[in-house]
Amino acid sequence: MQTFHSIGTTADWIVMVVYFIAIMLFGSYFGRYTKNTSDFFFGGRRFSWWLITMSIVATGVGSHSFVKYSAKGFEHGISSTMTYLNDWFFIAFFMFGWLPIIVYSKVRSIPEYFEKRFSPSSRFLATILLLLYMIGYIGIGFLTLGKAVIPMLPVAFTLFGLTIPITLMGAIIVIAIVTGVYITFGGQTAVIFTDLLQGFILLFAGLLLFFFGITYLGGFDIFWDLLPTEWKLPMADFNQPSSFNFVGIFWQDAIAGSIGFLFMNQGLIMRFMACKNVNEGRKAAAINILFVLPISAIVVGNAGWIGKAISIASPEVVSPSVSPDQIFVVVANIISSPGVFGFIMAALTAALMSTVDTLINATAAIYINDIYRPIRQYLKKNVIPGPENDRRELGAARYASVGVTILGVLAVLAFKNFPTVYEAHGYFHSTLTPPLVVGIFLGVFWKRFTASAVITTFVGGVALMILGARYPGILIAPFDHGIEMNQAHPYSYIRALYNTLVCSGVAVLATLTTQLQVSLISNIRSKANNTLLMNGILVVAILFFGIVAFGIAGLTLQVAAAVGVIVLVPLAVTYFVHYDEEDNTLGLTASSIHIARKQFKGSDPNDQEGEKILVHWRLFESDASSMGFSSNDMDQMSAKQGDLVYLSDKRSWLGGLKSVHSTYAEPHSEDGIVYLTPDLIESGLFAEGRELLAEKEM
Amino acid sequence: MNLFSHSWLPFIYLYGLGGILFVAGIIITLKAGSFDLKRPAHRKWMWILLFGFFWYFSMHALMTWAALGTISPYAVPIILLAQVAIFIVVTLRFGKKARA
Repeated sequence: MQTFHSIGTTADWIVMVVYFIAIMLFGSYFGRYTKNTSDFFFGGRRFSWWLITMSIVATGVGSHSFVKYSAKGFEHGISSTMTYLNDWFFIAFFMFGWLPIIVYSKVRSIPEYFEKRFSPSSRFLATILLLLYMIGYIGIGFLTLGKAVIPMLPVAFTLFGLTIPITLMGAIIVIAIVTGVYITFGGQTAVIFTDLLQGFILLFAGLLLFFFGITYLGGFDIFWDLLPTEWKLPMADFNQPSSFNFVGIFWQDAIAGSIGFLFMNQGLIMRFMACKNVNEGRKAAAINILFVLPISAIVVGNAGWIGKAISIASPEVVSPSVSPDQIFVVVANIISSPGVFGFIMAALTAALMSTVDTLINATAAIYINDIYRPIRQYLKKNVIPGPENDRRELGAARYASVGVTILGVLAVLAFKNFPTVYEAHGYFHSTLTPPLVVGIFLGVFWKRFTASAVITTFVGGVALMILGARYPGILIAPFDHGIEMNQAHPYSYIRALYNTLVCSGVAVLATLTTQLQVSLISNIRSKANNTLLMNGILVVAILFFGIVAFGIAGLTLQVAAAVGVIVLVPLAVTYFVHYDEEDNTLGLTASSIHIARKQFKGSDPNDQEGEKILVHWRLFESDASSMGFSSNDMDQMSAKQGDLVYLSDKRSWLGGLKSVHSTYAEPHSEDGIVYLTPDLIESGLFAEGRELLAEKEM
Repeated sequence: MNLFSHSWLPFIYLYGLGGILFVAGIIITLKAGSFDLKRPAHRKWMWILLFGFFWYFSMHALMTWAALGTISPYAVPIILLAQVAIFIVVTLRFGKKARA
């Protein structure tokens, strides 16, 4: 396979350095809007849908990157777009299930939802699984970044007479340091605004590349005619080859990946939580999936298609044996002029950095919410909320960002031996998403799904997944849809079907046997030595899991041990964990969203349609957090005292950066005037004399 | 060359199984009450959901026809842009109805 080094000119490097400095300054500027952990992680829940949509572009396109889709575009053609065009199937579940629940229940992280919906032990297991997922994702991001940059670097450089070779890991470490700088000091507001800028730039850069490519080839008709028919089709062959087939990618991406991306990607969830309300979040999701993703599919894959066309027309320019992961850089260098190539590379690397920085920020959020705070509460018993505590948490969040960056670099080691980044990512997604995806999905949509069922899904499901990974030819083969098993990386994609099925099966089984578990446990409780008996069951369950995890004994015994885990874990959970179906589901399932809205507001929601009005603000010294409008203005907004109100700067292009949420105070008589406390003015970043737009939320 | 396993078979699988999941999502959220067609704003969302499914369905069908030479590749963006225009007009009309 042909690989490249030292691609690009001095002009390209100058453009890249200038671009990165500009982006970091831009991010640092918006970092000043970060005052507490809410701003650091969620941007203060204030932004408009269009701003979030564009900032998601950089995150989504970065993660489904130029490098891996160009590689598949070069190997297989336009079917590289498949993964971008299959995210609509679960959108109703997301818009009217998960999104309102996470917003109205005011959870700050996905594991926190597990504690509220199930139990603290479920939160603990969810935290472990989610951290593995996030850190793995960061590792994939760093690997892609390294592979993108390596072709531009020389094989080695000399410093003080010493020749130092440039390795993939060396490049990744340098990139990690640069990435860590502004995420550590900027926070979510900086990330959102940096991603907004980069979203526009990378769409422009990708489309520019397509235009240059078509021009280089002599027009669209020539490009189209050069591609063989199979390369023009939008979907891959049903079940071959094993490295890229439709059915495997359907289960890995359209099912596990789509639910994983929408439901358990903490980075994406935090973006939606930064929207000013649920409806804006729905708009951001809809516009992103409907219109931005198809454009992104062209943006990220076209270098591969152009590369393939050039390799057919002029194999001496682009050899068919070019390493697929390097094709983006090779093609961009051939079809663009010096400087422009630097700009395209800067856009690519910046997009990838956006993904990584979002994930680092999100993982730090999980650390603070699900490890740091619970441990501090456990140790000190009484943590007093206030500015002092907030400052301490903000400091811990920044240290966590550094720690997560280091772990992300180490995670690269697990993926760097896959033939392409695409396969590494597919394998990773198929393996890590199913237990959490099943846990979240059934938690939201099935009221009967219990704490014992979710923990059994995590433990028993993982046990069966380990067996599948160890014996793919026996356990995954029945689901392979005719896909040939690659011995080096068996069933990279279709394993998602097996993993999802076993986790769902365990979840359903454990839920449907709830009554049996309860009656068995009440029987055991009536015995004098019940604690001893249950501790014994717990130890046996752990031993069974150990047999599976470490592969002690043959397949039959391991399967028996896994079955033992699935039988014993729900009993142990039913005995040790307190779970009340009414308390633990109220406002936390799709069927009780009306209660979640009521809890969010603190009283019955007011859904009467009202108008938006323009007002001027005046200072009102008070400790209260509500804002005062005139009776006429409140009538126009169809608002009552105590309803929720959103007040923002009139300039819509600010996207809600200068805005604040509050409640309506007792009305006054001065129309067009809103009385605000100093806290609200500071929080909303309102400037003297600026007109504000007010709207009732609920 | 028989391209069925590379063209219409994946298409049928994607929109068959995906369609079942999509409809299940709508039915489950409607039954749960979180998606409430009595609310004008939610009626607009129902239109957007159905449009989205048809949008992707037609996008894949058009791309497949273009690849197989049944239609010109230039017809794909033209038809899709026409759909976008319809989407914008209808969505704006829903918005006006909701405010009325």
